[in-house]
Amino acid sequence: MSLIDLMSMAKPEKESMRKVLAKLGRSEFIDCFQCLKCTSGCTALKLLELKPHEIMKLVRLGFVNELAASEIIWTCATCLKCVQRCPQKGSPYHVIMALRNLAVEREAKVPEAYLKAVSQILENGLSQTIQKITTRKMETFDRTSLKLPKISAPKESFQTVFLKALEEKQE
Amino acid sequence: MKMAVFWGCRILTSQYAYEMSVRQVFPKLGVELVDLREATCCGGPVKSINAFAADYLAARALALANLTGLTDLLVPCNRCHFTISEAKHRMEINERLRLRIGELLKEDGLEYDPNINIWHVIDLLHDAVGLEKIKETVKKPFKGLELASHTGCQIIRYSDLGRVDDAENPRKLDELINVLGAETVDYSEKLDCCGAVLTYSHQDAALSLAGSKIKALQGLNVDALVVCCPACQMMFDSEQKDAGTAVGAKLDLPVLYYTQLLGLALDIEAEKLGLHLNQSLVDKLLTKLPA
Repeated sequence: MSLIDLMSMAKPEKESMRKVLAKLGRSEFIDCFQCLKCTSGCTALKLLELKPHEIMKLVRLGFVNELAASEIIWTCATCLKCVQRCPQKGSPYHVIMALRNLAVEREAKVPEAYLKAVSQILENGLSQTIQKITTRKMETFDRTSLKLPKISAPKESFQTVFLKALEEKQE
Repeated sequence: MKMAVFWGCRILTSQYAYEMSVRQVFPKLGVELVDLREATCCGGPVKSINAFAADYLAARALALANLTGLTDLLVPCNRCHFTISEAKHRMEINERLRLRIGELLKEDGLEYDPNINIWHVIDLLHDAVGLEKIKETVKKPFKGLELASHTGCQIIRYSDLGRVDDAENPRKLDELINVLGAETVDYSEKLDCCGAVLTYSHQDAALSLAGSKIKALQGLNVDALVVCCPACQMMFDSEQKDAGTAVGAKLDLPVLYYTQLLGLALDIEAEKLGLHLNQSLVDKLLTKLPA
C-alpha cells in the first residue's frame, strides 16, 4: 500500500526526495514534529500564506515534485527566523532553497528577477544595474557627481569560471 | 586598524548614502578601509538558482579580500554578510565543496583563504572600535531625540554561523544610538522583516511588509528609524511612498543609516553623509539637531 494525495492524485517520489536530501547534505530528513514554531513566526505567512511546517511535512511524505513546481516556494522572505527557531534544527528555509534549486534544474517557472540577476552578474559581476538618484529636491546624482570611486569590473576570466560554476552538476 | 571592504551590489549601484557615510565615519574612528580589486556580487540572489554557484561567488569575495594581504573584511550589507558567512561555514564543514571551489578560483587566478574575519558595521563599531571610543569622538551629542532601531534579519540569524547580535533581542544598534545621546524605543514590530527579498517575486507583499512597520512606528511618534542594511534602507526609505500606498497610509518617517546618524554626531556635513539622497523626510530630523 502506498500514500496518495486524493486531491491531485500525486504519489510520493523517492528519487526527488533523494535529490533534496543531497542538496541539504543530509542522509535523512529530520524528525519534524509539527510544532509550528516556523509557521507561527513566518514573515510570509500572513500575506502570502507560506506555511513552512506544511512544506516540511510534504517533503517528508515525498511530494517533492509538486512542491518544486509550485509557486509557494518563491514566497519565502529569507528572514531566517525558522532556521533559528526550529527545535529539531530542521531549517525550513534550507529545504525551500533546495526546492528552488530543484525547480530551476527542472526548468519550472522561476520569478524573472532571479534569472535577470544571474544574467547581470555574468555580464558585469553585479546583480543590479547602476542607477541615478533623483533627490527630494529633484536634483539628479550618480557616482561621479557624488565623487565616489569608479566601480572596477571583474576580469574576463570571471565570466568563464562563473558560468562553469553555474553549469556544475549539483548533488 | 586597517581592513578590506566588500560593498556588494546594492550599495554600489543605488544606495550611495551608505557608501558615502561609511567612507566618512570609519577613518575618524581609526579604521582605514581598502577597496577590493574588483566589484562582484556576493552570491545572495544566486542562492535560489544554484547554491553551488552562490557559494563560489561568496568564496570569491573572500579570495579577493585575501589579495589585499589584510585579514579583516568589512561587509556593510546584511545580505552579503549572511551569504559570505554561510558559504564560509559550508566550506568549513564540507571539504569536497571547499576543494572544488578552490579549483574554480584557481582558474580565475585566485585563492580561497578561510582565515579572513568577516565584520559588519554593527559589530565593528560596537565590539572592535567600542562604545567608549565612539563617545570620546562624538562632537555634537544629540539631545531629546527618540529613535527606533531596525537591525534587520540576516545579520542576526542564524546563530550557528556566528552572527553579530542576539537573534531574538538585538541590542547593539540601540546601544550605538544611545552612546550618541539619543533615546531608543522598544517596539513590538522590532524584529519584523523589511521584505526586501520579496521584491524579486512579490513586490506588493514586500511593500506591505515595509509599510506596516513604518506605520506602526509613526504611531509611536519616534523621530526617525535607524537601519544598517542597504536592502532595509531601500524598503523603508527609497520605497516609503509606495509602501504607504500598499498599506493605505500617509507615511513620512525619516529613515537613515546608522553611519549617517553617527556622522552627524561627529559633526560631518550632511551632504558628505549623503543625507540629500535619502528619499524620506530626513529634514524633519535635521531641524531637531543641536546647532
